[in-house]
Amino acid sequence: MFAYMIRIALLSLRRNPVLSSLLIAAIALGVAVSTAFVTVYYIYSGDPIPTKSDQLYYVQMDNWNPDRPYSRRRPEIPPDQITYRDMQGIMTSDIPTYQSGMFVASLTIHPPEAEQRPFRERVRMCFADFFPMFEVPFAFGGGWGRESDRGPEPVVVIDAATNDRLFGGGDSVGKTVRIEDRPFTVTGVLAPWRPSPRFYDTHTGASQVPEGVYMPFEFARVFEVYTAGNLLIWTDLEDSAPFEEFLASEAIWIQMWAQLDTTEQRQAYSDFLEAYVMEQKKLGRFGRPLNNRLLDVMQWLEDQEVVPEEATGMLVISLLFLLVCAVNLIGILLGKFLARAPEVGVRRALGASRSVVFLQHIVECELVGVIGGVIGLGLSALCLGVINRLLDNSGQFGLDLPMVAAGIGLSLVAGLVAGLYPAWRICRVPPAIHLKLQ
Amino acid sequence: MELGPIFRALMHNPTRFWLITVEVALTLAIVVNCVAIILDRRELLTRPSGLDEPNLVVLTTRPFTDEFADDGFIDTVREEDLQQLRALPGVRTATAIDYLPLAGGGGLTGLAAPDSEGDGHPAPYFVVGLGALDTLGVELVAGRDHIEADLRPGDDEPENLIVTQALADRLYPDGDALGKSVVDPDTREIFGQIVGIIREMHNAWPRSSIAGLAMLRPGPAYDQREIRYMVRTEPGAMDAVFNELEPTVLAVNGDRIVNVRSLADYKRKYFDDEAVLVKVLTVLAALLIGVTSLGIIGLTSFSVTQRTREIGTRRALGATRSAVLRYFVIEIWVITGIGLAIGALLTYALNYALAHLADAPSIGWPLIATGIVFLWVIGLISALAPAFRATLVPPVVTTRTV
Repeated sequence: MFAYMIRIALLSLRRNPVLSSLLIAAIALGVAVSTAFVTVYYIYSGDPIPTKSDQLYYVQMDNWNPDRPYSRRRPEIPPDQITYRDMQGIMTSDIPTYQSGMFVASLTIHPPEAEQRPFRERVRMCFADFFPMFEVPFAFGGGWGRESDRGPEPVVVIDAATNDRLFGGGDSVGKTVRIEDRPFTVTGVLAPWRPSPRFYDTHTGASQVPEGVYMPFEFARVFEVYTAGNLLIWTDLEDSAPFEEFLASEAIWIQMWAQLDTTEQRQAYSDFLEAYVMEQKKLGRFGRPLNNRLLDVMQWLEDQEVVPEEATGMLVISLLFLLVCAVNLIGILLGKFLARAPEVGVRRALGASRSVVFLQHIVECELVGVIGGVIGLGLSALCLGVINRLLDNSGQFGLDLPMVAAGIGLSLVAGLVAGLYPAWRICRVPPAIHLKLQ
Repeated sequence: MELGPIFRALMHNPTRFWLITVEVALTLAIVVNCVAIILDRRELLTRPSGLDEPNLVVLTTRPFTDEFADDGFIDTVREEDLQQLRALPGVRTATAIDYLPLAGGGGLTGLAAPDSEGDGHPAPYFVVGLGALDTLGVELVAGRDHIEADLRPGDDEPENLIVTQALADRLYPDGDALGKSVVDPDTREIFGQIVGIIREMHNAWPRSSIAGLAMLRPGPAYDQREIRYMVRTEPGAMDAVFNELEPTVLAVNGDRIVNVRSLADYKRKYFDDEAVLVKVLTVLAALLIGVTSLGIIGLTSFSVTQRTREIGTRRALGATRSAVLRYFVIEIWVITGIGLAIGALLTYALNYALAHLADAPSIGWPLIATGIVFLWVIGLISALAPAFRATLVPPVVTTRTV
């Protein structure tokens, strides 16, 4: 029965190709636009690490000015980065499964080929746990061991693009690259990795791609390198202050992540942080009320408002656009169906029930919806490509399986919305009148 | 006027009426909201910054040898760099600067007048070498430019600051900022004194509500990792000079990575989201108007076809062609009119929602009025072709099939 209905629907579409292509184009256009912006919103608001986003916690403590909250707009929140001395203090804990403080620096890389000029690269300074904690995929080799953090030993992990640039690709584990003034040994080359949003450091742009180079955090101390991200300080610190004084200051510039797998672990870590801050209060620091915060990945992203308002606005507008396309379809379908009233009259007279006629026409609308939806998905991929190019974001937006499903879903809903009324009208056609006229 | 019959005919078969009404109402709401956002963001993109944007180029140099750990060495190289850059044909002048206006990153401190209350005012600042005013192209309206002595103040001497008029007015609302001191709002220690006021200059965050607050601090404008220059070319000489800049400073000292970018390029990058939004919304609004117009054409054609016999009857009873045309024109007028009235309310509703969700600007009545007139005309034009077809229906149709 269903196959028969589809055959009839196809025949009907073929009978008037111009009108049918108009119908399909209307749905395709609506689906293309709405799917594109649903995808943009979905990627901005998505879970970048679904396997363990509820086990990874962003650590915050309130070391800010006793007289003034960190944020005037939201006085209840603690600062959103931590100091070097506090990172050192809390990383003595053995409660988290993995933990790492981190920041982004800009360092000079000297390519092995002499004729290539040195270049600057964004380098993530982090601890060995960074890689297992964030499930960073490797093409060759792996991260460094925890013992390399302490030295620190001159080891680096590079991404595929940097590997191409320095060594022309391939397995470069064990090769040496000069960074700043010393040679580093490559321990691993990343496979493509693009968490979106880039949750681990929202301050330097949640849409950014991960850094090209990773090295042990303590080289910050060796190179005396300041963050290339955000740095805020409420106490006085001379620009010319020695680096060690800067490290000991209240300047916040480090992002701190910890993996806590169980509730007990989370509770224990939370108690540990509280004890740490109370200890520091005795030393005259942390003048504000106790205000530690452990947010998991999705809570942290929501707190940081990483979804651009533009994306939300475009989502609303594009869905309304699809609605207009559907309303448009109602008119065309009505005309198309009613022109067929005599034929339906004959079918009704020959015994087709109203529900069969109704269903038949709904099937036709949904067929239009699906064909339009498939074309729309193609167009939508094109739209996303254009948006990627315009934003120069190295292909952040693309259709994945859920979004293809969403696009087809939207086209089915649009087909149904557009088809209900015309199908209802046509199934109410009384058989007699049209038979008489013929 | 045939309003009475038109209205009764509409109510007799209201489907078409409602479809066009809904479509026109939705279209008005969406298009007006899109245009409001487009105008708002374009204003942001084209707002004058007070800087000579088209003629400014930025050179960022990052040394990679140990010699640069010595401040004296940096000073020598820097002087030589600036001298060579200024000597290039097509270059008007150049200065050292720490961060860039319009690029989204830089220094920020709080300032207050010494005897004022409260938390003070945000003062985004740039540390600049000599000749900054001429290089940036900003206009001095009171006081003086920085001089050699400002670069190295004695221990007890205040830092000599140049601020924008907007910042001066915030600190000293009575307009007597020149020569006055400013303090750190927390410690109440003297921060510096205002020696010059410039008319307008945008800081590093031109999107923000404090875009016009900026301050120029005299100083060495570098650290060991980064020395940056702003170069102002002669009008139109940018393209010719652009590729000369890197070799010029590398000839002074080659142990550096040099990056050359126009200030306009930094600004474009900063305003990427807005620019993309404007483009996307423009395309969407145009598409939507097209779709709606097609919808009106389709529905009117359908209605003309359906009413062929009625039109024939009217013609047979003596109605002229122009009367038939008038009938359809007035009908589409009435329908779109009602749709647009509902649409005006919808526009406000959508605007309210978007303002909450997406920081959309609120919409004034002139914009809605423009939108209504525009869509009214679009509706009319769309209905004209099918309406003309209606006038071609011959009276004889009536006699054919009864």
